[in-house]
Amino acid sequence: MKNSAIFPQKPDFSITILSQTQLLKMVVELTRHITTLFNFPAAEAQKISLAIDEAVTNVIKHSYNNETDQHITIEYFLAPGGIKIRIFYRGLPPDISDEEINVSKMIKKKKKGGLGVKLMKTIMDSVTYETVDGENCCEMIKWQKTI
Amino acid sequence: MKNFQIRSKMVNGVAVLYLKGHLDAHQVARFEKELIRLIKENNFNILINGQDLNYITSAGMGIIMGYIDEVREKGGDIKLCSLSDRVFETFDLVGFTEIYDFIKDEQVAIEKFSHISPKA
Repeated sequence: MKNSAIFPQKPDFSITILSQTQLLKMVVELTRHITTLFNFPAAEAQKISLAIDEAVTNVIKHSYNNETDQHITIEYFLAPGGIKIRIFYRGLPPDISDEEINVSKMIKKKKKGGLGVKLMKTIMDSVTYETVDGENCCEMIKWQKTI
Repeated sequence: MKNFQIRSKMVNGVAVLYLKGHLDAHQVARFEKELIRLIKENNFNILINGQDLNYITSAGMGIIMGYIDEVREKGGDIKLCSLSDRVFETFDLVGFTEIYDFIKDEQVAIEKFSHISPKA
């Protein structure tokens, strides 16, 4: 794993949105735009955007219980060879299990949720959660592939 | 213009759902409502045509996951066809391609239902 200390202390870009699912598409397009500008191939940019969509959706659905007047701040940190994205929010802390997600078992249980975290972990090189003084942070890092 | 559109039609006893556009958590209720309607009307052979679907998140995939067992218990199936490489890859990332039938062509997919006789 590469050293995440190479990222700047302050974000290169940040946005604060209301906890509304109608804003997800905007976040996806913004993330795709930033990652493409930062030389991620289009296919990688698409996947990183999907991981951010999943993370923000989880915040709206589970931490804010679909309340639409809460706030979510997304920060983008750019460094040579990688991008770090931090998502700050309040509400309920995330319930993230390290257990491997088994789709066949989920089908038997008729579950409709739980795939988002699997997508995030599959797409990104690192996904971590922490809560400090009631503020939750989801941090994701993606390194560019070296040819 | 709507970000997501859904329509359905019956073809040789198969309910074909055409998804178009961007299917995320904001749009997913419409997809679930249509799938429930089909199942309530005893349509258990369901084909999801994603030819014009350009984006899907776990919210949409979760709906397919949530109803597949019920449909298969009734002797039917949910299959998917005509997906773009990008959307197919999203399904592949969560392992759906090992559990669901993905077919490139709609007509071939409809024919694959022909040996299935849903339970009453």
